[in-house]
Amino acid sequence: MSLDNLILLTGRTISQGVALEGGKVTRENVRAAGICTFDADDFKKLDCLAGTPVKVITDYGEVLVYSTISEEGPHPGIIFIPMGPWANQLVNPSSQGCGTPTYKGIKAKVEVAKSGKVLNALELIGKLKEA
Amino acid sequence: MVEKVRTVEDVCCPFCGTLCDDLEIDVDLKTDQVVEVRNGCQIGTKKYFSSNPSDHRYTKPLIRKNGEHVEVSWDEAIDKAADILVNAQRPLLYGFSSTECEAQSKGVELAEILNAILDNTASVCHGPSLLAIQDVGASLATLGEIKNRADTIIFWGSNPVHAHPRHLSRYSDFIRGYFRTDGRNDRYIVVVDPRYTHTAQIADKYIKVNPSEDYELIQAIRAMLRGSDLDVKEVSGVPIESIKELVDILKSSNFGVVFFGMGLTQTLAHHRNVDTAIRLVTELNDYTKFILIPMRGHYNVTGANVVFTWNTGYAYSIDFSRGYPRYNPGEFSSVELLMRDEVDAALIVASDPGSNFPAAAVKNLFKHPLIAIEPHKTPTSVFADVVLPVAIAGIECEGTAYRMDTVPLRLRKVKDAPGECLSDKEILERLIEKVREKMGE
Ligand code: SF4
Repeated sequence: MSLDNLILLTGRTISQGVALEGGKVTRENVRAAGICTFDADDFKKLDCLAGTPVKVITDYGEVLVYSTISEEGPHPGIIFIPMGPWANQLVNPSSQGCGTPTYKGIKAKVEVAKSGKVLNALELIGKLKEA
Repeated sequence: MVEKVRTVEDVCCPFCGTLCDDLEIDVDLKTDQVVEVRNGCQIGTKKYFSSNPSDHRYTKPLIRKNGEHVEVSWDEAIDKAADILVNAQRPLLYGFSSTECEAQSKGVELAEILNAILDNTASVCHGPSLLAIQDVGASLATLGEIKNRADTIIFWGSNPVHAHPRHLSRYSDFIRGYFRTDGRNDRYIVVVDPRYTHTAQIADKYIKVNPSEDYELIQAIRAMLRGSDLDVKEVSGVPIESIKELVDILKSSNFGVVFFGMGLTQTLAHHRNVDTAIRLVTELNDYTKFILIPMRGHYNVTGANVVFTWNTGYAYSIDFSRGYPRYNPGEFSSVELLMRDEVDAALIVASDPGSNFPAAAVKNLFKHPLIAIEPHKTPTSVFADVVLPVAIAGIECEGTAYRMDTVPLRLRKVKDAPGECLSDKEILERLIEKVREKMGE
């Protein structure tokens, strides 16, 4: 199943803040920031269990993260990924000339992942390092 | 009974811009480890505990040799780092927001000697706010003033329950003040956000704005404030009646504050959002007292802006390549420079761009030699060529930090750093000395 025409927002969450202080290279950080939260009704359309990995795709990249249902909804049409390595595979680096990238409000689509694994921060960022 | 722990009181928490100054830390006398943290929020508490030795804490300088990090002496690590910086054409010095002011000042000195680019994390968060304040000025106040007087509080594109957990209880919401004797009951809280955030859930009024349409909403509020009738049913997804009600609330308050966050600075209109928010606040002063405050993220990003400004004239995104400071965010800001692949070496101080920059920028950062001054393993330091282990400011060394309202507070040392860690300031001083030597100065 998939969802189109979503808007991706990113930002701080307290568990992401705690996890980054607890160790950015730990599994705790994946559980805190390697997730995508959905509006409850949107999530029903995906027809999968909460926690199922989903692939989020924008014009700037794609990433596999765990799905969850938002506690800060309803927000139909909006998905949220905590700031960090996973969100940053998807955000718009352009700043429209002011220097600050556009981390929020990016068109996105989501597919339930049939295969693949949610990478930890080092595996994910490690892919950006050319050998 | 023999005392087993020593307690340090009135400690400033070095995590977020709220800079709570009432923490109490218990340190075990035998092991010199943090065993208890009182008054901190979850994140602040965790920061103290994670300063204890662990498998992700660096204790010795490291250099990458044949693809692996190997332990080396400080002399060797500093020599290698200085080599990298001196041989670079366009080195970038980035970070500085999670360290104290004296280290920041040393960063400026090093950037000047190297003719480097100097930038702090405002570049990816509140840079647009600084631009807007430079454009149109701003009416500001201290958080103490807000605690004592403010009766209307707006959180716009900011979610303090998650990002500044004790802000509400210390300054802006639940706290009792001199003129707000009944605390929460004496204040009216408004949250403007596309999501019904946890902050919105405890507010008196929630305004659900469409993502990236804050600019239009603020302009509509300004128009209504001037008495214009808008000939539409809604603006940015907000019904006109709701905007009217908000305008009445704003006009009738005694002392209002707009706290704004990344919801304004990181969406498409960036500094124009903040420009217009500042203008709204200025115009509200025709009716009542109104001010605004950016919800700064890193505990001392405000300090980085202040220190860079008093040294160079500019708050962030500074280029020294011509031997004197030039300022042009969008040209000299880190992400834009990396996207153009202009940077050929980087020194990262107290920051993790590997996690926090867009992937395409990180890719270019990793192409070139990288030095990290860092206490913990991060997606930046793990891929660095030189890792310089550091004592955490505010836990393992003293210093000064600026709260989000630019009030400077003293950071305390509660324990010693593990292993061979030095402070940011000491490391930068040693680098400056070595770089000068190599440049024949
Ligand atoms: S609110 Fe911010 S400054 Fe205060 S304890 Fe929490 S993280 Fe530290």
